[in-house]
Amino acid sequence: MIAFAVSVFFLNHAKVDTGASTSFTVGDIRIPAALENARGREAVDRAREITNQVGVTGEIGFIRYSRREQRFVIPISRPGVEAIVEVDAMKRTAVVSRRATSLLESVAYLHKSPGPHNADVRGNWFWTRVWRMLADGTVYLVLFISVTGVYLWFSIKGERRNGLALIGAGVATLFAFLYGLAV
Amino acid sequence: MALRSSHSRYLSGVLEAWNRRLHYYLGLYFLVFLWLFSFTGLLLNHPRWALSRIPNEAKPAYERNIDAAVGATDIERANDMIRKLGLRGEIDWPQSAPAPGTLEFNLAYPKQAFQVRVDLALNRATVREIDRSFWSALKISHTFSGSRYNANGTSRDWLVTSLWVIAMDALAAGLLVMVFGSYYMWYRLKRQRTLGWLVLALGFASCALFVFGLV
Repeated sequence: MIAFAVSVFFLNHAKVDTGASTSFTVGDIRIPAALENARGREAVDRAREITNQVGVTGEIGFIRYSRREQRFVIPISRPGVEAIVEVDAMKRTAVVSRRATSLLESVAYLHKSPGPHNADVRGNWFWTRVWRMLADGTVYLVLFISVTGVYLWFSIKGERRNGLALIGAGVATLFAFLYGLAV
Repeated sequence: MALRSSHSRYLSGVLEAWNRRLHYYLGLYFLVFLWLFSFTGLLLNHPRWALSRIPNEAKPAYERNIDAAVGATDIERANDMIRKLGLRGEIDWPQSAPAPGTLEFNLAYPKQAFQVRVDLALNRATVREIDRSFWSALKISHTFSGSRYNANGTSRDWLVTSLWVIAMDALAAGLLVMVFGSYYMWYRLKRQRTLGWLVLALGFASCALFVFGLV
């Protein structure tokens, strides 16, 4: 709960310079067969053979292939590190750009992980799948605690009037926002 | 000495009563916000669920003749166009440079998105509109802050977004107050301390594993 709440301030207000990265080149890369034609999870599994060779682990975002330049671009991330692996299939070299992220950015990364994009490939790293379970568990626990909290409040007869007024105020505020955002 | 002791007992009682009150007052006010963010958080975490799908098909583009764009900068001209076209939302600039003599921008809020292209010589605007479902709008609201921390060019320029961000910040701050207040309430229950410490340590350790342990 603390991690999710604290990272909200970072996600809403922070600005990060993403240009400050270090890069290195790895040669003699073995390109998996037919990577350029693979799609979805199969493509990610084959791209993983490349990221393993350059020593980068984490969740693969997507695989982009430029047929004209014969290059693959593979963004890969995990808490603390963001990397982009650019593979030249002709020269069999890979340039790895790596950026270390701050503590708060790592927590914000976890807040957004696994996320809604590229559903076919999301959760391709073991720890992303574990985190998804932990995040889901947190949500179910919050729902359970909030329902039991409402029950506990309702059993205090002297606080019912104030509580109902606060629930009403919360519902009214949320509906006002939803009118502006979702209608 | 006895006076001081009774005074500190009184203060402790007041603190405890207000901490408990604050806990359920905040909890009740933010209840529906918490349920909204919990529910949409699950949808974001499970993009394959049927409810998670966001319809993203654009309607056929329409054209409209408009008065000349007024303003010295692109943002002023874009805001002028938004007013004249009767649109609303948060401005997002396309990554590629616009064609000469045109003004191009995207405009979005959770329910709708627009791609606007204005021919400044002919004073003609072309608008492509994407309409989303209510569920999709709820889901997008979860992440709608008008600013991306890893994109320096983005900033909030719509009042509703700024107010929504304040609401999200308030919810986060309220949750932190409730969590730390509940730690205090737990700590006052002397018989539950050992089990509490164990559960607390387990929670912190599992979170720390992800924050620090996977670097």
